[in-house]
Amino acid sequence: MVQLPTWTALSPTLLLGLTAIVLLLVDSIDPDSSNNELLAGVAGLGSIAAAATSVWFIVAGTGLPAENGELISLFDDQLVVDQMALFFSFLVASVLTLVVVASYDYMADKARQAKYYSLTVMAATGMSLLGSANGLAVAFVALELASLPSYALVAILKTNKGSVEAALKYFLVGALSSGVFLYGISLVYGATGSLQFDAVAAALTDGVPAGILGIGVLMIVGGVAFKTASVPFHFWAPEAYEGAPAPISAFLSSASKAAGFVLAFRVFATALMGDAVLAVVDWVLVFQVLAIVTMFVGNFAAATQENVKRMLAYSSVGHAGYVLIGLAALTGGSSDAYVLGSGMMHLLVYGFMNTGAFLFIALVEYWDIGRTFEDYNGLATQAPLACAAMTVFLFSLAGLPIGGGFFSKFNLLMATVRSGTWFLGAALIVNSALSLYYYTRVVKAMWIEEPASGLEIERYPIGLYTAVLVAALVTVLLLPGFDAVSQTAETAASLL
Amino acid sequence: MTAFDYAPAIALLPFVSFLVALFGGQYLPKKGALAGIAATAGSLVLSAWVALTVAGGQTYNEALYTFTAGLETFDLHLGILIDPLTALMLLIVSFIALLVHVFSLGYMNDEGETGLPRYYAGLGLFTASMLGFVYADNILMAFMFFELVGLCSYLLIGFNFREAGPPSAAKKAFLVTRFGDYFFLIGVVGIFVTFAGATQTPGLFAGEGSFPVVAEHAIVDGATEGLNTFGFEPQTWFTILGLLVLGGVMGKSAQFPLHTWLPDAMEGPTPVSALIHAATMVAAGVYLVARMYGFYALTPTTLAVIALVGGFTALFAATMGVVKQELKQVLAYSTISQYGYMMLALGSGGYIAAVFHLTTHAVFKALLFLGAGAVIIAMHHEENMWEMGGLKDKMPVTYYTFLAGSLALAGIVPFAGFWSKDEVLYEALIHGFGTEGGLGTVFLVAYAMGLLAVFFTGFYTFRMVYLTFHGEARTETAKKPHGVRWNVKGPLAVLGILATTIGFVNLAPVKKLTGLEVDFLHKWLLGAEGSGWEALLTGYEHYEHVLHDGPAHVLVGEPLGATGTLIASALLSLGLAVAGVLAARSLYKVPEPVEHTDKLGSIKTLLMHNYYQDEYQVWLATGFTYPLSRAADKFDQGVIDGVVNGISSVSLFSGSRVRRLQTGVVTNYALFITIALVVLLVVFGLTGGWF
Repeated sequence: MVQLPTWTALSPTLLLGLTAIVLLLVDSIDPDSSNNELLAGVAGLGSIAAAATSVWFIVAGTGLPAENGELISLFDDQLVVDQMALFFSFLVASVLTLVVVASYDYMADKARQAKYYSLTVMAATGMSLLGSANGLAVAFVALELASLPSYALVAILKTNKGSVEAALKYFLVGALSSGVFLYGISLVYGATGSLQFDAVAAALTDGVPAGILGIGVLMIVGGVAFKTASVPFHFWAPEAYEGAPAPISAFLSSASKAAGFVLAFRVFATALMGDAVLAVVDWVLVFQVLAIVTMFVGNFAAATQENVKRMLAYSSVGHAGYVLIGLAALTGGSSDAYVLGSGMMHLLVYGFMNTGAFLFIALVEYWDIGRTFEDYNGLATQAPLACAAMTVFLFSLAGLPIGGGFFSKFNLLMATVRSGTWFLGAALIVNSALSLYYYTRVVKAMWIEEPASGLEIERYPIGLYTAVLVAALVTVLLLPGFDAVSQTAETAASLL
Repeated sequence: MTAFDYAPAIALLPFVSFLVALFGGQYLPKKGALAGIAATAGSLVLSAWVALTVAGGQTYNEALYTFTAGLETFDLHLGILIDPLTALMLLIVSFIALLVHVFSLGYMNDEGETGLPRYYAGLGLFTASMLGFVYADNILMAFMFFELVGLCSYLLIGFNFREAGPPSAAKKAFLVTRFGDYFFLIGVVGIFVTFAGATQTPGLFAGEGSFPVVAEHAIVDGATEGLNTFGFEPQTWFTILGLLVLGGVMGKSAQFPLHTWLPDAMEGPTPVSALIHAATMVAAGVYLVARMYGFYALTPTTLAVIALVGGFTALFAATMGVVKQELKQVLAYSTISQYGYMMLALGSGGYIAAVFHLTTHAVFKALLFLGAGAVIIAMHHEENMWEMGGLKDKMPVTYYTFLAGSLALAGIVPFAGFWSKDEVLYEALIHGFGTEGGLGTVFLVAYAMGLLAVFFTGFYTFRMVYLTFHGEARTETAKKPHGVRWNVKGPLAVLGILATTIGFVNLAPVKKLTGLEVDFLHKWLLGAEGSGWEALLTGYEHYEHVLHDGPAHVLVGEPLGATGTLIASALLSLGLAVAGVLAARSLYKVPEPVEHTDKLGSIKTLLMHNYYQDEYQVWLATGFTYPLSRAADKFDQGVIDGVVNGISSVSLFSGSRVRRLQTGVVTNYALFITIALVVLLVVFGLTGGWF
């Protein structure tokens, strides 16, 4: 077997970057291109190639330590390619694939298509790169690479007031958060003299200046909380998700959130793990507070929404709270790899079920039948297949054993049990029960309520349907196939 | 390749016919009947091959598919156990199922019924489930197929779901048997929990490591290591487990007090009744007791309960059969009564007698039901016997075969039923005399009830025969009955011959008197040393040893000497049967019979109402269960839902508060973020001692 050069380990990210550049090239040659087939085709091929490469590498064991115990690292250890990086590359690339396939219909008659696709792929490149980042500087650059296109993407429907307003709010809160994050990085650098994660960890002995390090760590928490849409840095999320085109909402709420979490996992589990840091600032406790507050705020706010997309936006905040358990239950015992792994599992499953749910919203927006729960009444009489898929997403999000969401929540719960953080488990259960209420409202509207007179659907767009059904299929298949996911995630987490 | 490699196909073939009839039935010429006939014929051939292989001394006990692999504990699997008992039962089930399929051509297709694909799909699945149940190698698999059998009976009893009666009868059958199965399920779980620590294969029926054998070691040898008996003495606990499983048996085999579903189940098409009564549903219960007989034989209390329930049911059902006016109703009560005999035999240590009676009963009861079906076709679906009469000359084939079945049911020598019923009663008698203490007394009481029931059996059987076939035709329909074709007569003829002759497979009394080796069934089920399957520990020799040396101490006592007791017992039961027949003859073999049962006065009312069994069970449902459920509902609505609703309104209220945080003004957001960050910094700064 041919041994590939080391740099090829970055292939998933590189493929995404290459695709973005090709799309940019198309855009610069023909700025007003509406050749949807070409654009979506290139973006789709690139993303599928990236996802496939990630799976190949995971299966081939590229991210596992070599015989000498070393992982593949590049650029003076600034980038690392381990199972976790590949896991998240796969996640980002598969969400991107679904989004691109759905956009084929959604963006069909919109302007600035070439920009749309190239920005989307570029953001994905940043997110994928974030998974490999092994130093604070690279992490920041990757984070901005993911964020800046996102702001533009939310505003892509220039003539839509909501879209533009949401983008501006997103950008302003994002700028504030980036500032906080960057300041945190500089303080940590000041305290340790290093940016590379392992070096930071090595420098964190008892002698570090407590105040500088403590403020720095808390500010990094802030930056992470922004990217993952955790309370109190979540304010942008409901507005941005609601105002953005639905495929972009799907992309941001799934892939972008996952990217935020991989950053958090790396920074906190690699660089800032250790008694010296925890004695100064107990960031595990911070995450416990954030997790609980995020779960409750997200789910409680979701319960009172009238608008389905906004409900999903808040539920997305709530799910960030669930995944935060992956950090908040790190008690330093033998359960840590399992705890972190369960957070990763939930992110992967969430990537499919939440993307699917938002793409269903995209489908509804495409049909132009309204946004509130009432508008969904009797939709199943017109589009039973899509509604069945949506039902799968919603029940899986709630944690019913119809999709992978059951096992991933179950693993999170077991993580709290194993680490002894029972209050997190209790919050998880209470909030899941509450979430079932508002998810069921949608299901009830679709299947049980009488349709409003004149509800008629004429077009069944192939791209959106494909994306929704594939997402539903994967969500269901993750139920029997969860073993593979959980093993990969646990291996990846144990390598940190 | 041996026969055992094809054994899974015995159940799979009818399953395939189920699929064919369900999905392709409407396109097929006979709506799935031919597929069913082919499949059951295939099963019959394979069963015969298996039986021949078993006769050669080979048995089979293997796990085929493990659906839950346990780590350091037991597995849950599907597997096949084939010993002589299984082989015999496979033959019976596939044989009866084949005949019922053929008969259905006449009863359903020729009569132009609608919904035939559904009917044949049901029959196929029913047969497949029963066959799967019969060769299940562990009790969980047995339970799964037991439930499937119950489901299929529900579907088939309610076949004519557009009429009022059948759906209600189907529901009743389903609910009553489910009530019993509930205990069975607990029993299954209990068995797994109890034996999991002592053996790797707690659910198995046969072989070392199976639960009956482990239980035997625990009681006889005191090897209780690893057993979890929940603090009880092993024997007490095994009694509890045995009784729990018995709940399912009593539901399925329609034993008192769970027999009430069976007469109503007559609402199903007649061939289905034949299948239910002869070979599948009802037989399943008794078969289960026989299958795990090694377990029951250990505990005298369960034996006593089985014997008493059996004897009582035999008598009780027979008395109700006396006053019934509809042909199928009489047969229904006779079924309950006959299964009572089998239970009586099992309870009193007559394992072989029970299996023997199960075999002969399968034949003659299938015959009687199919005969009744033929009569019903002829009578244009009139079932009341008072509307019939004089059919003897118009339907000779039906009459003579039905007569053979009736003689067998009544227990008249030399028809099949005589031999098996006589053996049941004889075993109960000698074990009653031989066994010390209360158990012996119980056996004798049960015997007395069984003996008395013989008279009633003879009476109601021949009351039915005379009313239906003899005398003058009492209605226009009976004067000009509808003809039946080969597909009705064929099965009747086959079964008629068998009902006359099948008793000869086990002429135990003849052997005892003359020394001729003619007790073939006894030899078949014995499993002695050197038979090739003694290691399975499911042979009668092993059971006899357990009964004899175990806590039950079932012994043989012959007060009149060996020959004397045998002849006395046979004469007694035969005499009572003949007396019953003669009584019926004197009352009903007249040109224009009258309802003599009217003379019974209030007793008739009591019997017609089945001792108010239905009434009290309905009262239990509406007068007791319903208020209890309503109270539970009140509690649920008031307290549980109140708490839930309270929580949800609190949630929604706080949700609307939380929602207000989202003001839509971006400067507010920046403010909140900053405040939150500062609060975090201050709190952690103070606790972390940064300042």
